[in-house]
Amino acid sequence: MFRAHSLLWHYLWVGPNLFLLALGWLLSKRGLHRRFPAFFAFATLGAVSELAVYLADVSPSVSPETFWYVVWFSLLVEGPLKFALIGEIFAQVFDSYTSVARLGRQLIQGLGVFLVLTAALLAAYAPMDNTLGIIAGAHLLEQAIYLVESGLLLFIFLFAGYFSLRFSRPGLGIALGLAISACVHLASWAVLANGGLPDSKRNILDFLNMATYHACVLMWFYYLLVPEKAVAKSAVPLPENNLAVWNRELERLLQQ
Amino acid sequence: MTLAIVLVVAAVIALILILRGAVSSSVQVSADATLAPQIQPIDVEAFRNLADSAEDDYLRRRLPASELRRVRRARLRALAVYVQVAARNAAVLVSVGQSALNSDDSPTAAAARELISDALQLRRNAVFALIRIYVALAWPNAGFVAAPVLDGYRHLHGSAMRLGRLQNPSIPVRISFS
Repeated sequence: MFRAHSLLWHYLWVGPNLFLLALGWLLSKRGLHRRFPAFFAFATLGAVSELAVYLADVSPSVSPETFWYVVWFSLLVEGPLKFALIGEIFAQVFDSYTSVARLGRQLIQGLGVFLVLTAALLAAYAPMDNTLGIIAGAHLLEQAIYLVESGLLLFIFLFAGYFSLRFSRPGLGIALGLAISACVHLASWAVLANGGLPDSKRNILDFLNMATYHACVLMWFYYLLVPEKAVAKSAVPLPENNLAVWNRELERLLQQ
Repeated sequence: MTLAIVLVVAAVIALILILRGAVSSSVQVSADATLAPQIQPIDVEAFRNLADSAEDDYLRRRLPASELRRVRRARLRALAVYVQVAARNAAVLVSVGQSALNSDDSPTAAAARELISDALQLRRNAVFALIRIYVALAWPNAGFVAAPVLDGYRHLHGSAMRLGRLQNPSIPVRISFS
């Protein structure tokens, strides 16, 4: 069952990307592509580049070397798209609050530089899992992209949590899906790129990655297209006793 | 293989922290009603006394060096507690403000925006103040500044009372900065 080119393998590679293209189409139909332009670009271009890799893999006319060039091209397309998407998530959460947006931007830029350097260092010291540089390099590039992506998303969640800032519902869905996918991929690519696993065991990690990505695509569908349950929500009133205490303290302060 | 294990552990920890953040962000939305009672009142006069550098200078003139260090450390520890409580209150007020942000009443929404902005600023300043306090604890001759937190807290009082008055017009609010 967990073999390359099994029916499940074909479905898990093609299915999520077709779903993602459908999500992109639905977003543009509902005008949501203007609200989430980076996610729209990620959904459409990312899915197309993944499908191109799939076609290169299954097409007998494509040589192994060409296949790896397509993989590299896909990584070079998806990497910047993911970082643009992370920028969009950050902007959605923090840009309306100028008092923390600037600090957050400085911190995330610094963290980004630190993570890129760390990823480069880890790649430099990683044992090559393949004698062909084009294959080992692609694995290390995947690991580097997921390392930086996970670190930046973790920062956004921690920073928002510290300041008690809420994500919008679609924003939370996008960030959570991307973060789950990045962390699971980071763990499995770390093993694939550094662990020297036999091919039979590599397939299991491939399936884990593909299944996780599929779950994340379904999560994006849910958070972006299913409307939030209408809960009768009233503003939280500040309690009378607190106002009274605060007034008293303030009076004492002003009377000095 | 060691590198792989380190990265796998890092990814698992990151995933746990992210899921915790996501869950608490979702829970926040449904737990709005329990927010306001979480605010802890602060004795602003005592806070001001502790943050006042003139008080510090006075103690320096009156006390011998060893006694001064002991008293100063005790004052810094107390100040750190006040700053932490102020920061926690600010976090609660961010959530209170976010609940009022989508109000149909535009003055209430504007007051909520102002409250969030003041609370975020205070929470940010609290981090820097705490760092300075802990540096001063480790090195008693270092200067420390908690005045931005105290000033921020005063602004926050004003913003919170303005929002409270708009949400509960029946409650008499005797003093405001508006």
